[in-house]
Amino acid sequence: MLKTIGAFALSLCLLAGLTAANAAGDPIEKRHELMEDVGEAAKPIGLMMRGDSDYDWDVVLTSLKTFDSVSHEFGDLFPEGSETGGNTEAAPAIWTDREGFDEALAMWREATGEAIAAEPQTLDAARPSLGGVFKTCKNCHDGYRIEDE
Amino acid sequence: MSLWLRSALLLLLIALAGWWLTGATRSTADELPLHTGDVTSGERVFWAGGCASCHASPVDGKRARGEDKLLLGGGLELDTPYGLFRVPNISPHDQDGIGAWSTLDFVNAMRHGVSPRGKHYYPSFPYTSYARMPIEDLIDLEAYLKTLPAVDGRIANHELGFPWSIRRGLGLWKRLYLDDAPVADIDVSNSELVLGQMLVEGAGHCGECHTPRNRLGAMLSDRWLGGAPNPEGKGRIPNITPGSENLAGWSARDLEYYFESGFTPEFDTVGGTMVAVQENLAMLSAEDRAAITAYLKAIPPVE
Repeated sequence: MLKTIGAFALSLCLLAGLTAANAAGDPIEKRHELMEDVGEAAKPIGLMMRGDSDYDWDVVLTSLKTFDSVSHEFGDLFPEGSETGGNTEAAPAIWTDREGFDEALAMWREATGEAIAAEPQTLDAARPSLGGVFKTCKNCHDGYRIEDE
Repeated sequence: MSLWLRSALLLLLIALAGWWLTGATRSTADELPLHTGDVTSGERVFWAGGCASCHASPVDGKRARGEDKLLLGGGLELDTPYGLFRVPNISPHDQDGIGAWSTLDFVNAMRHGVSPRGKHYYPSFPYTSYARMPIEDLIDLEAYLKTLPAVDGRIANHELGFPWSIRRGLGLWKRLYLDDAPVADIDVSNSELVLGQMLVEGAGHCGECHTPRNRLGAMLSDRWLGGAPNPEGKGRIPNITPGSENLAGWSARDLEYYFESGFTPEFDTVGGTMVAVQENLAMLSAEDRAAITAYLKAIPPVE
């Protein structure tokens, strides 16, 4: 009897431990969070490019820094075993064409770095580099994201 | 007359009627307007019509990009509930493409879905929409297509299940469903709306994916652009009428910017099969995109 309770308690502990580990380190969850952050950061820049809000380099820079930090860690969040589940929109190509995916991420990182280095102070001056960054969003989504239309 | 003879005659009549009903309707040369194809106008029609999205040969199994969109060798496969459709070569190659076609052949393909030899095309080639295009636009488009590079290689036939495999049956289908009349009831005194209608209902063939169909594959006009199951896979193609939940809150500016840039009002990027469509729309003028937007804002809402 005691043995059964002991085994039961042990398995409960194990289960709790596993769940906790999952919540902290679920790569799919983390991917979603980071992409949400990127979307939030893209919005003010997009509104400026559309002419719907005034150009503000400080705001742009804050967004670009978000891009920069996410673009450095994003690639590590696609381990084997995280191909499906959790409503992931990650395309199988990420795993079958890892090189291409890494390259698409590198293009984002580089375009972001160039935009930061350019420090454009007007919208017209910023258009080429910011447009270049936005293009890399589409490029990667086009090849490595599946659509749940 | 004996009963036998009367029965035989009746059967013959039925057979003749069936043959006539399933036959091909075609334009004749004297129905073509006096119009010389204009390559510049044809290029606009080409992007509005999205020809490249299906006919550009895939590169390494992926859709063509950039200049490769002008190599219309076909070869894309559309896996649908009716079977496998293979997109043909429409490059100006004399044997493998449409290089040897006359202007009349081209107009008949686009307006009536009929090949130069009088065979029916399947409406996977969206002549159901192209029938609404001005003939002058078709002649311009043909002139533009003839300027593109010829691509080698003939594409194999479709592989369809019964009864869809009976090509002649399409004659009957067309008599029921092929109609060049405009769909939506709009204010025809508004020239922007008229342009938008021409682009959306004609060349743009938006209804082919965004409108649900009946069991025989004909679009339901009372649910025009009201969203439909994805014809090539899972998920749904969204409702793009003013009654759409997805597009609630999208202003005309939002739509125009989306067509131009591929970014949604939340600055997410366009996805799925719309990626290629948006790239085509980006090639049009701002006026054309504004007209498409005005039309989409003016059509009856589908809930």
